Amino acid sequence: MAAAISIRGLTKKYVDVWQKQEVIAVNNLSLEVEEGEIFGFLGRNGAGKTTTIKMLLGLIFPTAGDATILGKPMGDNQVKQEIAYLPEETYFYDSMTGWDLLDFYARLFRIPEPERSRRVRMALEKVRLQPEAWKRSIRGYSKGMRQRIGIAQALINDPKLLFLDEPTSGLDPIAHAELRDIVASLKYEGKTVFLSSHQLADVEMICSRVAIIHKGKLLRTGTIKELISGERTEITVQGKELQNGMLAKLQAIVPEVHMDGEDTLRLTSDDSERVAAVIDLVRGAQGKIISIVPHKRTLEEVFVETVRKEDNTI
Amino acid sequence: MIALAIAQQTIKEAFRRRVMWIFLIIGVFLISLGPVFGFLTPRDSQTVLRSLGLAAILLAGLFVTIVTCIYLIPAEIERRTIYTVLSKPVQRYEFVLGKFLGGFATVFINIAAMGVVFLAMIYFQERRIPAEMFKGVMLTFFQMMLLAALTIFFSTFTTPVVNFFLSFGIFMIGNLTTVTESLTTKSNPLVRGVGTLVHYLLPNFGNFNIQNSIIRPQIEIANEQVFLRNNILYAIIYSSVLLVLAILIFDRREV
Repeated sequence: MAAAISIRGLTKKYVDVWQKQEVIAVNNLSLEVEEGEIFGFLGRNGAGKTTTIKMLLGLIFPTAGDATILGKPMGDNQVKQEIAYLPEETYFYDSMTGWDLLDFYARLFRIPEPERSRRVRMALEKVRLQPEAWKRSIRGYSKGMRQRIGIAQALINDPKLLFLDEPTSGLDPIAHAELRDIVASLKYEGKTVFLSSHQLADVEMICSRVAIIHKGKLLRTGTIKELISGERTEITVQGKELQNGMLAKLQAIVPEVHMDGEDTLRLTSDDSERVAAVIDLVRGAQGKIISIVPHKRTLEEVFVETVRKEDNTI
Repeated sequence: MIALAIAQQTIKEAFRRRVMWIFLIIGVFLISLGPVFGFLTPRDSQTVLRSLGLAAILLAGLFVTIVTCIYLIPAEIERRTIYTVLSKPVQRYEFVLGKFLGGFATVFINIAAMGVVFLAMIYFQERRIPAEMFKGVMLTFFQMMLLAALTIFFSTFTTPVVNFFLSFGIFMIGNLTTVTESLTTKSNPLVRGVGTLVHYLLPNFGNFNIQNSIIRPQIEIANEQVFLRNNILYAIIYSSVLLVLAILIFDRREV
């Protein structure tokens, strides 16, 4: 499959006016996003996600490296006919109605009438904005309605590639689920989505591949399946004997041991042999195994683990 | 077409700002007070109405122009609306051109609105509208157009506060053409150099002030047509240069 986005060594440094302090917002980032996939771009606040997107769109300029979008150099005006961007927490022109706003954006694509009105209507219907709100000023829109109009403006040109920066943040559960489903549905229309989000449950649900970026550096990239592979098993054991020297023996097998009360321990491991060794040890010490729960790893766990590891806080 | 769409959007945004309306209303209010002042002062009521009207248009126009234009580009960046515009197939020059056109149109509408009220007052008092009144309003528009261009130019690389003082300051200096001109002939080379730079580099706003000849018919402008044509051309050319510079700066600006 062809690459929708191909990034090679993209770097963005900011220096202060005296050229003394240097901040590396994006550090030698290289990655590929394939056509037709929903790609999750994950990172903490200030990790460099938005900076990367802004470089790809030509809003800011890289210090080093380059990228192609749909086969054309980043920032190219022609390629902008085929892409869309929903920035994080955008304020639209408040005095305009939802319809007029989309009409304005459609004009920026030189879409003539009556096609323009048809596109506006389609986009508004697609994001399920209630028709009575179409001709109302955006000033009176709720957060959810603003996000819907934001996605609608990104759909006005029927783009091949969408950059969505936190499209579902700060929404109520219903609006959140609806907008997530709208984003997920874009894949079935053959669109590529570059999704920057902190909603890791959403990312796990709708993305095929993700990249984890931290302090401007790419830490991991892969399919969701690859990243969350490997089960963790949580064993809860009980017994008065456990504390008398047994705790140290258990910790030697599984470092992750938590005390739950005076005679109960919780152990977690992703190694089945270690799990078996724990069970044998507890049984040998006349301890009681309360539960053995296989626990599938989540993307959130992988993300936290990856970032903490990088920070050497594990 | 794209620049026109942005210009239309700019006009709509400008007119929803209350501060612009406040200055416009103050301007119209001052103009409509002309006949009242005419009765209250010992001067000729015709002179009072003409001078007050033109001064009110100039003053209100000055503030409307500055408060409208200093925010045109910074507000787009601050509210991040520029992201959704520049991520579409919009060239940066089209964006800046659209802002210029929108800014000029907003200033024109304001000056025209005050001009209509002013001319109506003149007609109410004199039962005729002398051609000089049109010329006065027209030159004020071109003066404000030049100021708008200057303000939008500064807005591509400064903050609104800095821009306010820069634009206002240059407008004041640009109105003191006789002073700056006198500096160009001083014997001190430093004073002469700075004077020459200021006099020829900064826009000459003083040339647009023809209130004296309008208010007092005995003062005549020699070769009036050439004077008007040259001033209008000066405003258009200077504004165009500022537009080109603004585009060059904005093209390299990160948003």
